Amino acid sequence: MNTRDALKKRDNFLAQTRQFFSQQSIVEVQTPKLLNTPTADVYIDSIAMQVNQDIEKKSKYLHTSPELEMKKLLANGSGDIYQICTVFRDNEQGAQNFNEFTMLEYYRLGFDIHQLMDDMVQLLKTLGIEGRVSKLSYAQAFFEYGDIDILNTNFAALKVIAKTHSLSTDFEWIEDLQILLFTHLIESKLKELPLCFIYDYPATQSALAKVEGQVAHRFELYLNGVEVANGYDELQEAEIYQQRFNNEINKRTSLGKAHVDLDKDFLSSLKNSLPQCSGVAIGIERLLSQIN
Amino acid sequence: MANYSTSQFKNGLKLMLDGNPCSIISNEIRKPGKGQASNKVRLKDLITGKTLEKTFKSGESVEGADVMELDMQYLYNDGSEWNFMDPDTFDQYVINDDAMDGVRGYLVEQDMCVVTLWNDNPISVTPPNHVMLEVVDTDPGLKGDTAGTGGKPATMNTGVVVQVPLFISIGEKVKVDTRTNEYAGRT
Repeated sequence: MNTRDALKKRDNFLAQTRQFFSQQSIVEVQTPKLLNTPTADVYIDSIAMQVNQDIEKKSKYLHTSPELEMKKLLANGSGDIYQICTVFRDNEQGAQNFNEFTMLEYYRLGFDIHQLMDDMVQLLKTLGIEGRVSKLSYAQAFFEYGDIDILNTNFAALKVIAKTHSLSTDFEWIEDLQILLFTHLIESKLKELPLCFIYDYPATQSALAKVEGQVAHRFELYLNGVEVANGYDELQEAEIYQQRFNNEINKRTSLGKAHVDLDKDFLSSLKNSLPQCSGVAIGIERLLSQIN
Repeated sequence: MANYSTSQFKNGLKLMLDGNPCSIISNEIRKPGKGQASNKVRLKDLITGKTLEKTFKSGESVEGADVMELDMQYLYNDGSEWNFMDPDTFDQYVINDDAMDGVRGYLVEQDMCVVTLWNDNPISVTPPNHVMLEVVDTDPGLKGDTAGTGGKPATMNTGVVVQVPLFISIGEKVKVDTRTNEYAGRT
Protein backbone atom coordinates (compact mmCIF):
# COMPACT_ATOMS: atom_id res chain seq x y z
CA MET A 1 0.00 0.00 0.00
CA ASN A 2 1.40 3.42 -0.88
CA THR A 3 1.64 6.21 1.67
CA ARG A 4 -1.47 8.06 0.50
CA ASP A 5 -3.61 4.91 0.55
CA ALA A 6 -2.34 3.96 3.99
CA LEU A 7 -3.17 7.45 5.30
CA LYS A 8 -6.61 7.34 3.72
CA LYS A 9 -7.26 3.94 5.24
CA ARG A 10 -6.42 5.26 8.68
CA ASP A 11 -8.39 8.46 8.15
CA ASN A 12 -11.42 6.50 7.00
CA PHE A 13 -11.06 4.18 9.96
CA LEU A 14 -11.05 7.08 12.42
CA ALA A 15 -14.04 8.74 10.73
CA GLN A 16 -16.06 5.53 10.86
CA THR A 17 -15.11 4.97 14.49
CA ARG A 18 -16.18 8.48 15.45
CA GLN A 19 -19.44 8.08 13.54
CA PHE A 20 -20.15 4.78 15.32
CA PHE A 21 -19.77 6.43 18.71
CA SER A 22 -21.55 9.62 17.78
CA GLN A 23 -24.60 7.63 16.63
CA GLN A 24 -24.80 6.13 20.12
CA SER A 25 -24.31 9.52 21.80
CA ILE A 26 -20.94 8.53 23.22
CA VAL A 27 -18.86 11.62 23.80
CA GLU A 28 -15.28 11.99 22.61
CA VAL A 29 -12.89 13.29 25.29
CA GLN A 30 -9.27 14.34 25.56
CA THR A 31 -7.55 13.76 28.88
CA PRO A 32 -4.10 14.87 30.11
CA LYS A 33 -1.20 12.85 28.79
CA LEU A 34 1.47 14.24 31.10
CA LEU A 35 0.76 12.79 34.53
CA ASN A 36 2.18 13.30 38.02
CA THR A 37 2.24 9.60 38.87
CA PRO A 38 3.58 6.76 36.76
CA THR A 39 1.45 3.67 36.21
CA ALA A 40 1.53 1.10 39.00
CA ASP A 41 1.06 -1.78 36.55
CA VAL A 42 3.94 -4.15 37.28
CA TYR A 43 4.78 -4.99 33.65
CA ILE A 44 4.07 -1.60 32.10
CA ASP A 45 6.61 1.18 32.53
CA SER A 46 5.90 4.89 32.18
CA ILE A 47 8.31 7.14 30.33
CA ALA A 48 9.54 9.83 32.73
CA MET A 49 10.03 13.42 31.60
CA GLN A 50 11.78 16.34 33.27
CA VAL A 51 9.66 19.46 32.91
CA ASN A 52 9.99 23.08 33.99
CA GLN A 53 13.78 22.79 33.92
CA ASP A 54 14.17 26.58 34.03
CA ILE A 55 11.65 27.18 36.78
CA GLU A 56 11.18 24.39 39.25
CA LYS A 57 12.29 21.10 37.82
CA LYS A 58 9.93 18.18 38.36
CA SER A 59 9.19 14.77 36.96
CA LYS A 60 6.14 14.05 34.88
CA TYR A 61 5.16 10.82 33.23
CA LEU A 62 3.65 10.20 29.82
CA HIS A 63 0.42 8.27 30.16
CA THR A 64 0.61 4.57 29.31
CA SER A 65 -3.18 4.50 28.89
CA PRO A 66 -5.90 7.12 29.36
CA GLU A 67 -7.71 4.80 31.77
CA LEU A 68 -7.38 6.60 35.10
CA GLU A 69 -7.97 10.07 33.69
CA MET A 70 -11.10 8.84 31.92
CA LYS A 71 -12.27 7.18 35.11
CA LYS A 72 -12.01 10.53 36.89
CA LEU A 73 -14.46 11.85 34.31
CA LEU A 74 -16.75 8.84 34.76
CA ALA A 75 -16.76 9.38 38.52
CA ASN A 76 -17.72 12.98 37.86
CA GLY A 77 -20.77 12.08 35.82
CA SER A 78 -19.39 12.16 32.27
CA GLY A 79 -21.63 9.34 31.06
CA ASP A 80 -20.49 7.19 28.10
CA ILE A 81 -17.15 8.43 26.76
CA TYR A 82 -14.42 7.44 24.34
CA GLN A 83 -10.95 8.65 23.51
CA ILE A 84 -8.50 8.11 20.68
CA CYS A 85 -4.99 9.02 21.72
CA THR A 86 -1.33 8.14 21.53
CA VAL A 87 0.01 6.31 24.56
CA PHE A 88 3.63 5.80 25.56
CA ARG A 89 5.35 2.87 27.21
CA ASP A 90 8.93 2.34 28.22
CA ASN A 91 10.90 -0.90 27.88
CA GLU A 92 8.58 -2.38 25.29
CA GLN A 93 10.04 -5.20 23.26
CA GLY A 94 8.83 -7.59 20.62
CA ALA A 95 7.86 -7.38 16.97
CA GLN A 96 4.40 -5.96 17.76
CA ASN A 97 5.29 -3.68 20.65
CA PHE A 98 6.38 -0.08 20.39
CA ASN A 99 7.19 2.83 22.68
CA GLU A 100 4.21 4.71 21.31
CA PHE A 101 0.99 3.53 19.76
CA THR A 102 -2.57 4.69 19.32
CA MET A 103 -5.26 3.57 21.70
CA LEU A 104 -9.01 3.71 21.43
CA GLU A 105 -10.55 3.47 24.85
CA TYR A 106 -14.26 3.57 25.61
CA TYR A 107 -16.63 3.12 28.51
CA ARG A 108 -20.30 2.12 28.53
CA LEU A 109 -22.38 2.76 31.62
CA GLY A 110 -24.54 -0.12 32.80
CA PHE A 111 -22.85 -2.62 30.47
CA ASP A 112 -21.37 -5.89 31.66
CA ILE A 113 -18.47 -7.33 29.67
CA HIS A 114 -20.74 -9.45 27.48
CA GLN A 115 -22.75 -6.42 26.41
CA LEU A 116 -19.50 -4.58 25.72
CA MET A 117 -18.17 -7.49 23.65
CA ASP A 118 -21.41 -7.47 21.63
CA ASP A 119 -21.03 -3.72 21.13
CA MET A 120 -17.45 -4.22 19.95
CA VAL A 121 -18.61 -6.76 17.37
CA GLN A 122 -20.88 -4.01 15.97
CA LEU A 123 -18.00 -1.54 15.97
CA LEU A 124 -15.73 -4.00 14.17
CA LYS A 125 -18.46 -4.70 11.65
CA THR A 126 -18.72 -0.97 10.92
CA LEU A 127 -14.97 -0.99 10.32
CA GLY A 128 -15.17 -3.92 7.94
CA ILE A 129 -13.93 -6.59 10.34
CA GLU A 130 -16.35 -9.45 10.15
CA GLY A 131 -16.18 -13.18 10.51
CA ARG A 132 -17.22 -15.94 12.83
CA VAL A 133 -17.21 -14.62 16.40
CA SER A 134 -15.88 -17.04 19.01
CA LYS A 135 -16.36 -16.46 22.71
CA LEU A 136 -14.34 -18.63 25.02
CA SER A 137 -13.83 -18.26 28.72
CA TYR A 138 -10.17 -18.33 29.76
CA ALA A 139 -10.79 -21.72 31.38
CA GLN A 140 -12.50 -23.08 28.24
CA ALA A 141 -9.61 -21.94 26.06
CA PHE A 142 -7.13 -23.75 28.30
CA PHE A 143 -9.31 -26.87 28.36
CA GLU A 144 -9.87 -26.93 24.65
CA TYR A 145 -6.43 -26.00 23.37
CA GLY A 146 -4.13 -27.04 26.18
CA ASP A 147 -6.02 -29.76 28.08
CA ILE A 148 -5.30 -27.84 31.27
CA ASP A 149 -7.74 -27.03 34.09
CA ILE A 150 -6.25 -23.58 34.59
CA LEU A 151 -8.49 -22.42 37.44
CA ASN A 152 -7.85 -25.53 39.53
CA THR A 153 -4.21 -26.29 38.83
CA ASN A 154 -1.80 -25.07 41.47
CA PHE A 155 1.53 -23.30 40.94
CA ALA A 156 3.68 -26.43 41.39
CA ALA A 157 1.60 -28.45 38.92
CA LEU A 158 1.68 -25.61 36.37
CA LYS A 159 5.48 -25.57 36.65
CA VAL A 160 5.57 -29.27 35.77
CA ILE A 161 3.41 -28.56 32.71
CA ALA A 162 5.62 -25.62 31.73
CA LYS A 163 8.71 -27.78 32.03
CA THR A 164 7.34 -30.42 29.67
CA HIS A 165 6.86 -27.66 27.10
CA SER A 166 10.40 -26.27 27.60
CA LEU A 167 8.94 -23.11 29.10
CA SER A 168 10.56 -21.15 31.90
CA THR A 169 9.45 -22.07 35.41
CA ASP A 170 11.35 -19.26 37.08
CA PHE A 171 8.35 -17.35 38.40
CA GLU A 172 7.43 -15.85 41.71
CA TRP A 173 3.68 -15.63 41.14
CA ILE A 174 1.26 -18.10 39.58
CA GLU A 175 -0.34 -15.44 37.36
CA ASP A 176 2.93 -14.84 35.50
CA LEU A 177 3.18 -18.54 34.71
CA GLN A 178 -0.50 -18.64 33.65
CA ILE A 179 0.22 -15.78 31.26
CA LEU A 180 3.31 -17.50 29.85
CA LEU A 181 1.35 -20.72 29.29
CA PHE A 182 -1.43 -18.77 27.61
CA THR A 183 0.99 -16.89 25.36
CA HIS A 184 2.90 -19.96 24.25
CA LEU A 185 0.40 -22.80 24.33
CA ILE A 186 -2.99 -21.20 23.67
CA GLU A 187 -2.47 -17.98 21.71
CA SER A 188 -0.97 -19.75 18.68
CA LYS A 189 -4.13 -21.88 18.46
CA LEU A 190 -6.28 -18.75 18.25
CA LYS A 191 -4.74 -17.91 14.85
CA GLU A 192 -7.43 -19.97 13.17
CA LEU A 193 -10.17 -17.86 14.78
CA PRO A 194 -10.89 -14.58 12.94
CA LEU A 195 -12.51 -12.88 15.90
CA CYS A 196 -12.14 -14.39 19.32
CA PHE A 197 -13.02 -13.04 22.74
CA ILE A 198 -11.39 -14.63 25.77
CA TYR A 199 -13.23 -13.67 28.96
CA ASP A 200 -13.37 -14.31 32.71
CA TYR A 201 -9.68 -14.38 33.56
CA PRO A 202 -8.41 -16.06 36.74
CA ALA A 203 -8.88 -13.77 39.75
CA THR A 204 -5.06 -13.64 40.04
CA GLN A 205 -5.07 -11.66 36.76
CA SER A 206 -7.88 -9.31 37.72
CA ALA A 207 -5.95 -6.10 36.90
CA LEU A 208 -8.69 -3.48 37.47
CA ALA A 209 -11.66 -5.76 36.76
CA LYS A 210 -14.34 -6.92 39.18
CA VAL A 211 -13.78 -10.33 40.72
CA GLU A 212 -16.53 -12.86 41.27
CA GLY A 213 -15.53 -16.22 42.77
CA GLN A 214 -12.57 -17.68 40.87
CA VAL A 215 -12.72 -15.25 37.98
CA ALA A 216 -12.28 -11.59 37.14
CA HIS A 217 -14.76 -10.12 34.65
CA ARG A 218 -12.11 -9.16 32.17
CA PHE A 219 -11.78 -9.96 28.47
CA GLU A 220 -9.36 -9.72 25.62
CA LEU A 221 -10.02 -9.68 21.90
CA TYR A 222 -7.84 -11.67 19.50
CA LEU A 223 -8.06 -11.12 15.77
CA ASN A 224 -6.44 -14.04 13.95
CA GLY A 225 -4.40 -14.72 17.07
CA VAL A 226 -3.24 -11.12 17.57
CA GLU A 227 -4.16 -9.52 20.90
CA VAL A 228 -5.88 -6.21 20.11
CA ALA A 229 -8.07 -5.27 23.06
CA ASN A 230 -8.42 -5.62 26.81
CA GLY A 231 -11.62 -4.82 28.69
CA TYR A 232 -13.02 -4.90 32.22
CA ASP A 233 -16.19 -4.73 34.19
CA GLU A 234 -14.68 -1.77 36.02
CA LEU A 235 -13.97 -1.58 39.73
CA GLN A 236 -16.04 1.13 41.36
CA GLU A 237 -14.77 1.98 44.84
CA ALA A 238 -11.58 3.85 45.71
CA GLU A 239 -10.66 1.35 48.45
CA ILE A 240 -10.56 -1.53 45.99
CA TYR A 241 -8.51 0.47 43.51
CA GLN A 242 -6.10 1.23 46.33
CA GLN A 243 -5.75 -2.47 47.16
CA ARG A 244 -5.07 -3.37 43.54
CA PHE A 245 -2.52 -0.55 43.11
CA ASN A 246 -0.72 -1.54 46.30
CA ASN A 247 -0.57 -5.11 45.12
CA GLU A 248 1.14 -4.01 41.90
CA ILE A 249 3.45 -1.61 43.72
CA ASN A 250 4.55 -4.40 46.08
CA LYS A 251 5.24 -6.65 43.11
CA ARG A 252 7.34 -3.95 41.49
CA THR A 253 9.33 -3.62 44.71
CA SER A 254 9.98 -7.34 44.99
CA LEU A 255 11.16 -7.44 41.36
CA GLY A 256 13.51 -4.55 42.03
CA LYS A 257 11.72 -2.29 39.54
CA ALA A 258 11.54 1.49 39.85
CA HIS A 259 9.38 2.55 42.77
CA VAL A 260 6.00 4.01 41.97
CA ASP A 261 3.92 6.10 44.35
CA LEU A 262 0.29 5.41 45.02
CA ASP A 263 -1.82 7.67 42.80
CA LYS A 264 -3.53 9.51 45.67
CA ASP A 265 -4.89 12.13 43.33
CA PHE A 266 -6.82 9.48 41.41
CA LEU A 267 -8.06 7.80 44.60
CA SER A 268 -9.33 11.05 46.08
CA SER A 269 -11.16 11.87 42.86
CA LEU A 270 -13.18 8.68 43.39
CA LYS A 271 -14.99 10.10 46.41
CA ASN A 272 -18.02 9.39 44.34
CA SER A 273 -17.45 5.81 43.21
CA LEU A 274 -17.42 5.01 39.51
CA PRO A 275 -20.87 4.17 38.17
CA GLN A 276 -21.16 0.52 37.15
CA CYS A 277 -19.62 0.38 33.68
CA SER A 278 -17.47 -1.68 31.38
CA GLY A 279 -14.57 -0.30 29.41
CA VAL A 280 -12.12 -1.50 26.82
CA ALA A 281 -8.81 -0.39 25.35
CA ILE A 282 -8.08 -1.23 21.72
CA GLY A 283 -4.70 -1.03 19.98
CA ILE A 284 -5.42 0.87 16.78
CA GLU A 285 -2.33 -0.03 14.74
CA ARG A 286 -2.85 -3.71 15.43
CA LEU A 287 -6.52 -3.41 14.57
CA LEU A 288 -5.73 -1.54 11.34
CA SER A 289 -3.28 -4.22 10.31
CA GLN A 290 -6.20 -6.66 10.36
CA ILE A 291 -8.28 -4.57 7.94
CA ASN A 292 -7.74 -5.20 4.25
CA MET B 1 31.83 -17.93 31.78
CA ALA B 2 29.63 -14.86 31.90
CA ASN B 3 25.87 -15.05 32.15
CA TYR B 4 23.71 -13.51 29.48
CA SER B 5 20.38 -11.83 30.14
CA THR B 6 17.58 -12.34 27.61
CA SER B 7 18.06 -8.73 26.50
CA GLN B 8 21.51 -9.72 25.20
CA PHE B 9 20.20 -12.68 23.21
CA LYS B 10 21.03 -12.58 19.51
CA ASN B 11 21.52 -15.11 16.79
CA GLY B 12 24.78 -17.00 17.16
CA LEU B 13 25.13 -16.37 20.90
CA LYS B 14 26.38 -19.52 22.64
CA LEU B 15 24.64 -20.64 25.82
CA MET B 16 24.84 -23.63 28.15
CA LEU B 17 21.59 -25.59 28.28
CA ASP B 18 21.16 -28.89 30.11
CA GLY B 19 24.93 -29.26 30.20
CA ASN B 20 25.51 -28.83 26.48
CA PRO B 21 26.73 -25.76 24.58
CA CYS B 22 24.05 -24.41 22.25
CA SER B 23 23.91 -21.67 19.64
CA ILE B 24 20.91 -19.34 19.24
CA ILE B 25 19.20 -19.69 15.85
CA SER B 26 16.26 -17.36 16.47
CA ASN B 27 14.85 -15.28 19.31
CA GLU B 28 11.23 -14.15 19.31
CA ILE B 29 10.03 -11.73 21.99
CA ARG B 30 6.39 -11.76 23.03
CA LYS B 31 4.91 -9.17 25.36
CA PRO B 32 1.26 -9.53 26.36
CA GLY B 33 -0.63 -6.31 27.09
CA LYS B 34 -0.85 -7.18 30.77
CA GLY B 35 2.03 -9.41 31.58
CA GLN B 36 5.65 -10.12 31.43
CA ALA B 37 7.55 -10.40 28.18
CA SER B 38 9.05 -13.74 27.22
CA ASN B 39 11.69 -14.89 24.77
CA LYS B 40 11.00 -17.94 22.65
CA VAL B 41 14.39 -19.14 21.54
CA ARG B 42 15.41 -21.79 19.02
CA LEU B 43 18.84 -23.21 19.59
CA LYS B 44 21.15 -25.75 18.04
CA ASP B 45 22.81 -28.14 20.45
CA LEU B 46 26.42 -28.02 19.32
CA ILE B 47 27.16 -31.51 20.66
CA THR B 48 24.17 -33.45 19.32
CA GLY B 49 23.38 -31.15 16.39
CA LYS B 50 19.70 -31.22 17.38
CA THR B 51 17.50 -28.13 17.27
CA LEU B 52 15.62 -27.31 20.44
CA GLU B 53 13.18 -24.66 21.53
CA LYS B 54 13.12 -23.03 24.92
CA THR B 55 11.12 -20.14 26.35
CA PHE B 56 12.58 -17.81 28.93
CA LYS B 57 10.91 -15.02 30.81
CA SER B 58 12.48 -11.73 29.85
CA GLY B 59 15.20 -10.74 32.27
CA GLU B 60 16.13 -14.33 33.06
CA SER B 61 19.82 -14.99 32.63
CA VAL B 62 21.55 -18.03 31.25
CA GLU B 63 25.15 -19.20 31.52
CA GLY B 64 27.17 -18.52 28.41
CA ALA B 65 29.14 -21.29 26.72
CA ASP B 66 32.83 -20.79 26.02
CA VAL B 67 32.57 -21.67 22.37
CA MET B 68 34.91 -20.49 19.63
CA GLU B 69 34.83 -21.14 15.94
CA LEU B 70 38.23 -21.22 14.27
CA ASP B 71 39.27 -21.68 10.65
CA MET B 72 41.58 -24.66 10.50
CA GLN B 73 43.23 -26.72 7.83
CA TYR B 74 42.50 -30.45 7.79
CA LEU B 75 45.78 -32.33 7.74
CA TYR B 76 45.24 -36.08 8.00
CA ASN B 77 43.42 -38.90 9.74
CA ASP B 78 45.46 -41.52 11.53
CA GLY B 79 42.65 -44.03 11.89
CA SER B 80 41.00 -42.92 15.11
CA GLU B 81 41.85 -39.23 15.32
CA TRP B 82 41.63 -36.36 12.93
CA ASN B 83 44.37 -33.77 12.80
CA PHE B 84 43.83 -30.08 12.11
CA MET B 85 46.09 -27.05 12.16
CA ASP B 86 45.43 -23.41 12.94
CA PRO B 87 47.17 -21.76 9.95
CA ASP B 88 47.90 -18.59 11.93
CA THR B 89 49.56 -20.15 14.96
CA PHE B 90 50.47 -23.54 13.45
CA ASP B 91 48.91 -25.07 16.59
CA GLN B 92 47.68 -28.56 15.87
CA TYR B 93 44.38 -29.88 17.17
CA VAL B 94 43.50 -33.54 17.40
CA ILE B 95 39.82 -34.28 17.08
CA ASN B 96 38.27 -37.46 18.34
CA ASP B 97 36.37 -39.57 15.82
CA ASP B 98 33.15 -39.13 17.88
CA ALA B 99 32.96 -35.48 16.93
CA MET B 100 33.12 -36.27 13.21
CA ASP B 101 29.66 -37.80 12.71
CA GLY B 102 28.17 -36.66 9.43
CA VAL B 103 31.28 -34.94 8.14
CA ARG B 104 33.82 -37.76 7.69
CA GLY B 105 32.91 -38.17 4.05
CA TYR B 106 33.64 -34.55 3.20
CA LEU B 107 37.09 -34.03 4.64
CA VAL B 108 39.74 -33.46 2.03
CA GLU B 109 43.34 -32.97 3.09
CA GLN B 110 44.44 -29.33 2.96
CA ASP B 111 40.82 -28.02 2.92
CA MET B 112 39.97 -25.20 5.32
CA CYS B 113 37.25 -26.19 7.78
CA VAL B 114 35.56 -24.45 10.70
CA VAL B 115 36.40 -26.17 13.96
CA THR B 116 34.17 -25.43 16.94
CA LEU B 117 35.94 -25.46 20.28
CA TRP B 118 34.14 -25.69 23.60
CA ASN B 119 36.33 -24.95 26.61
CA ASP B 120 39.23 -25.30 24.15
CA ASN B 121 38.20 -28.82 23.15
CA PRO B 122 37.11 -29.41 19.55
CA ILE B 123 33.48 -30.56 19.48
CA SER B 124 32.57 -30.32 15.83
CA VAL B 125 33.92 -29.64 12.36
CA THR B 126 32.13 -27.89 9.52
CA PRO B 127 33.64 -28.68 6.14
CA PRO B 128 33.53 -26.13 3.30
CA ASN B 129 30.14 -25.90 1.55
CA HIS B 130 31.62 -27.55 -1.54
CA VAL B 131 34.40 -30.14 -1.72
CA MET B 132 36.06 -31.94 -4.64
CA LEU B 133 35.83 -35.71 -4.26
CA GLU B 134 37.00 -38.53 -6.52
CA VAL B 135 34.65 -41.24 -7.70
CA VAL B 136 36.09 -44.65 -6.76
CA ASP B 137 33.11 -46.80 -7.64
CA THR B 138 30.00 -46.42 -9.79
CA ASP B 139 28.17 -48.35 -12.52
CA PRO B 140 29.40 -47.64 -16.05
CA GLY B 141 27.52 -44.69 -17.46
CA LEU B 142 25.29 -44.70 -20.48
CA LYS B 143 27.04 -43.26 -23.52
CA GLY B 144 25.55 -40.07 -24.78
CA ASP B 145 23.70 -39.19 -21.59
CA THR B 146 24.86 -35.69 -20.92
CA ALA B 147 21.61 -34.22 -19.73
CA GLY B 148 22.08 -35.49 -16.22
CA THR B 149 18.58 -36.85 -15.95
CA GLY B 150 18.13 -39.74 -13.63
CA GLY B 151 21.42 -40.44 -11.94
CA LYS B 152 23.18 -43.26 -10.16
CA PRO B 153 24.92 -43.74 -6.83
CA ALA B 154 28.67 -43.22 -6.80
CA THR B 155 31.07 -43.98 -3.96
CA MET B 156 33.67 -41.29 -3.36
CA ASN B 157 37.26 -41.66 -2.19
CA THR B 158 36.13 -40.52 1.27
CA GLY B 159 33.51 -43.26 1.51
CA VAL B 160 30.45 -41.05 1.07
CA VAL B 161 27.88 -42.12 -1.54
CA VAL B 162 26.48 -39.34 -3.75
CA GLN B 163 23.86 -39.47 -6.48
CA VAL B 164 25.68 -38.41 -9.69
CA PRO B 165 24.62 -38.04 -13.35
CA LEU B 166 24.86 -41.18 -15.50
CA PHE B 167 27.82 -39.84 -17.53
CA ILE B 168 30.18 -39.72 -14.54
CA SER B 169 32.75 -42.53 -14.47
CA ILE B 170 35.28 -43.92 -12.01
CA GLY B 171 38.33 -41.75 -11.49
CA GLU B 172 36.55 -38.43 -12.18
CA LYS B 173 36.58 -35.62 -9.66
CA VAL B 174 33.19 -34.14 -8.81
CA LYS B 175 32.04 -31.20 -6.72
CA VAL B 176 29.76 -32.18 -3.82
CA ASP B 177 27.64 -29.87 -1.67
CA THR B 178 28.44 -30.90 1.89
CA ARG B 179 25.20 -29.43 3.29
CA THR B 180 22.89 -31.50 1.10
CA ASN B 181 25.17 -34.36 -0.08
CA GLU B 182 24.26 -33.45 -3.65
CA TYR B 183 26.34 -33.48 -6.80
CA ALA B 184 27.20 -29.89 -7.75
CA GLY B 185 29.17 -30.20 -10.97
CA ARG B 186 32.50 -31.36 -12.26
CA THR B 187 34.70 -28.33 -11.73
